[in-house]
Amino acid sequence: MDVEDVLGDVVTMEDLKKFEKEYHNQLTTGTVSQETKFHYAWCLVRSNYPADIRKGLILLEQLIKHEASDDDAKRNYLYYLALGNSRIKEYSTALQFIKAFLHMQPENIQAQNLLATIQKKMESDAHKGMAVAGALALGLSAVVGIGFALSKSLKK
Amino acid sequence: MDPSVLTTLKILLIGQSGVGKSCLLCRFTDDTFNVDNAVTIGVDFKMRKITVDNNNIKLALWDTAGQERFRTLTPNYYRDGQGAVLVYDVSNRDSFTCLETWINELNRYSTKSNIIKMVVGNKIDKERQVTREEGIAFARRHQTLFIETSAKTKEGVYMAFEELVRKIINTPSLWEKLEDANVVRCNDDHSVSEQKYCYC
Repeated sequence: MDVEDVLGDVVTMEDLKKFEKEYHNQLTTGTVSQETKFHYAWCLVRSNYPADIRKGLILLEQLIKHEASDDDAKRNYLYYLALGNSRIKEYSTALQFIKAFLHMQPENIQAQNLLATIQKKMESDAHKGMAVAGALALGLSAVVGIGFALSKSLKK
Repeated sequence: MDPSVLTTLKILLIGQSGVGKSCLLCRFTDDTFNVDNAVTIGVDFKMRKITVDNNNIKLALWDTAGQERFRTLTPNYYRDGQGAVLVYDVSNRDSFTCLETWINELNRYSTKSNIIKMVVGNKIDKERQVTREEGIAFARRHQTLFIETSAKTKEGVYMAFEELVRKIINTPSLWEKLEDANVVRCNDDHSVSEQKYCYC
């Protein structure tokens, strides 16, 4: 399938495994570098599996706490926190992160684009939700209607 | 997929941080220019349709970060790329010198051996440190297309992408799937003889 936006960028299994291995190797030695942790998190949040994404988000939150003073690094983490959250449809959390980013750097076009993408996804998901709810209501009313008609015809 | 679209092409933008990759892309996709554009985080993505020789083509444009901290992961985006735009800044010699490294990295990681490469000397609105001749010589040595641009003034930007796409379309093995073999291509315009670019 064609990628339509930045949220459709999916990591290859090969990359995910490669950076996972590096991360675990460092874990066994006792010290994981921030860089390795970030590389692994960057792969995880682009995974197709929500469990991976959630794991990536935990790593990013650890990173952001650790490097709270480095603005450049902080923006990178905020960006991927927003991206990961929107990939598991946690849109309001995603919005919080990207807005925090834009608070630091309002003119950043890449972040503005991600914000717009998240808002678009939110909207289309809400429409889908409404369509499903509408269909359910229609189905329910049909069942009630049939039931009503049946009960009437039985009474006759 | 939209039947009027011939194919979707994956295009990469590569080069040192600050040479104007994102600005080239903004100019091409949105016709905007932002003086204080911030550094790209990881990899950004943009989509644009383009019509070249009566063929409607969808472009998936991957704008890679030039910053050192992202260097470990960006080459992973090179795979399956059908075209690559290698950008340097004509007002910054260093960005031209290190183009060698970028092209080597591209050759190492790209999965299509006949990927079409285009060297782009950007920022020609500024005072030069790299001559046009040097750019052409580099492109010739590496057998790539070559063009000079200014994302600021628009000069050459559209033509760069158009020419890259034309060259890819004229290399069907890069994009044609077997089931598409019966697709009729309308490439009657083979007389590529513009002055601004050259194929070396």
